[in-house]
Amino acid sequence: MNLERIPNEEKLSLSRRYYLGGFAFLPFLWLVNVLWFFREAFLKPTYTEQPQIKSYVKKSALGLIVWVAVLTTWITIFQHFRAQWGEVGDYLSFTIPLGTA
Amino acid sequence: MNTSDSEEDSYNERSALVQCESPTIPSYNQDHDMSLPQETDTKRRRPVSSGLDEPGPVERERASTPDGEEEELTLKYGAKHVIMLFIPVTLCMVVVVATIKSVSFYTEKTSQRLIYTPFEEDPNSVGQRLLNSLLNTMVMISVIVVMTIILVVLYKYRCYKFIHGWLILSSLMLLFWFSFMYLGEVFKTYNVAMDYPTLVMIIWNFGVVGMICIHWKGPLRLQQAYLIVISALMALIFIKYLPEWSAWVILGAISIYDLIAVLCPKGPLRMLVETAQERNEPIFPALIYSSAMVWMVGMADSSNPDSADERQRNEGGALAQEGVESEDDATQGGRRRYSAEEDLEEDRGVKLGLGDFIFYSVLVGKAATTGGDWNTTLACFVAILIGLCLTLLLLAIFKKALPALPISITFGLVFYFSTDNLVRPFMDSLAAHQYYI
Repeated sequence: MNLERIPNEEKLSLSRRYYLGGFAFLPFLWLVNVLWFFREAFLKPTYTEQPQIKSYVKKSALGLIVWVAVLTTWITIFQHFRAQWGEVGDYLSFTIPLGTA
Repeated sequence: MNTSDSEEDSYNERSALVQCESPTIPSYNQDHDMSLPQETDTKRRRPVSSGLDEPGPVERERASTPDGEEEELTLKYGAKHVIMLFIPVTLCMVVVVATIKSVSFYTEKTSQRLIYTPFEEDPNSVGQRLLNSLLNTMVMISVIVVMTIILVVLYKYRCYKFIHGWLILSSLMLLFWFSFMYLGEVFKTYNVAMDYPTLVMIIWNFGVVGMICIHWKGPLRLQQAYLIVISALMALIFIKYLPEWSAWVILGAISIYDLIAVLCPKGPLRMLVETAQERNEPIFPALIYSSAMVWMVGMADSSNPDSADERQRNEGGALAQEGVESEDDATQGGRRRYSAEEDLEEDRGVKLGLGDFIFYSVLVGKAATTGGDWNTTLACFVAILIGLCLTLLLLAIFKKALPALPISITFGLVFYFSTDNLVRPFMDSLAAHQYYI
C-alpha cells in the first residue's frame, strides 16, 4: 500500500500497531516500521501526527537494536560453544554440520 | 510427508492475468473497485480541473481523441507493464533455479507423492509410464476443476468468511511450514549449525510479518517480495513431488484448462471475474500479484481505491491435513490483468495471478533439474518471457481477462523439448570437436 494516499491518522494508527505488534517477539516488524515510516517521520514537513509517529519509529528502532544485540550474542555463544556443550548442544541444534575429518 | 491437496488448490487460484476494463465508470468512485480503470488515454486528455466535477462517461472523450494517440498510449503503458511483470517473474524463476541447483533436496526423487498424482511412473515401460502420467494429469486437473467450481460457487453465494479462512490457512501453511522445510534444507546443504531458538525466531518473524503484509497492510515492496517467495516455495514443492513425465503433461493440461476456463462464456474463472466486476469488488484477497505503480498528480483524496494494493496473495497453502480440501483454485484460470489508469495519473499497474508465477517457475525449475545444462534453462526462461510479452500485448489490445499460461507454457515446452533434444547434442558435439561458431 502506498503511504502517500492514506490520511495521517491512519498512518499514525498503522505505525502504532506495528510498534505494538513488535512486542510479540517480532523485531522484524519493528524493522519494517522503522524503514517504512522513516521518511514520514523525519523527512517530511511537519504535520500534526508526526511527532507521535516519530516517537514510534524511534522506539521501534531502539527495540530493534536491543533484539539484534541479544540475538547476535546468543548466536555467537551458540556457534562457539556448541561442540563443547555435548548433549545440550545437540539438543538445541536444528541442523548439525557434518564433520569432514 | 503426504502433502495434501491444498497445494494444488492454491495455485489454481493464483493463475490469473487480469485486465480490467470499464470504460464508463467514473473515476471518482470511492468504492473499493478494481474495475475502475478508465481508459487512460481519454482520461488523461481531460483537463485536470474539470476532472473533479464531472466524471462523465469516457466514451464521449474517447470519440474525440484520435485513435492513433490512444493506441500509442495504450501500447506505451503496455510496455511499462510488461517490464513491471518481467522483474517479479524473473526473480521468482531465479530463486527457484538457484535453489534447485544448490539444494539437492528438491531434486531427490522420493517415493512419496502428492495424493493428486496417485499413479506411480514406472521407468521400465514407456507405454505404462505415459499412461500413468496421463492418468495422474487427469486426476490433478479434475481436482483443480472441482476446486475452481467450488470456489466460484462459494463466491457467488457470498461465503466470504469461508474463503478468507481458507486463504489464511493456506498462507499460514506456506509461510510457516514450507519455509521451515526450505530453511532446513538450505542449512543442511551449506553445513551450517542452527539452533532451535534462533530458527524459531526467524520462522516466526518471517511468517507473521508475511501474514501481515499479505493479508492486511504493509509496504508494497515487501508484499511483492513475499508473494514472490511463496510462489517460489510452492513451485519448489511441485518440482519435488510431481513425477517426471506427469509434470510436463500437467503443465500442458493446465494451460489448456486455463484457456478454457478464462475464455469460455461458462468458464468458472470468467464467471468469477464477471461476478467480481458486477459487484465492484476486488477479485480475491491474496491470490494475485499486483505491481502497482501509483503516482498522484496534485490530486486530493479522490481516492481511487487502491485496488492495486490488494496484494492478492497467492494462497498456496497446501493444507496438511489429509483430505482437507478447500483450496480455492478458482483463481487458477483467471488470469486477469488490470491495467487501470486513472485520470489522475494514477497507474494501477498490472495484476498477475500467483498461479502463473508458480507454473512458470515449475517449468523453468524442471528444465534446470532435468535439462542438464544451462542452455535448456535459459531457453525456457526466454521462452516464458516472450510468451508473457505476447500475452500482455494481447491484453493491451483486448482489454479483458486473459489466461497468462497458455502462450508462455507452450513456448516454454516447445523450447524445452527442442533445446534438450536438438540444441544440446549439437552444442555438445561442437564443443567436443572444438568447433566454435
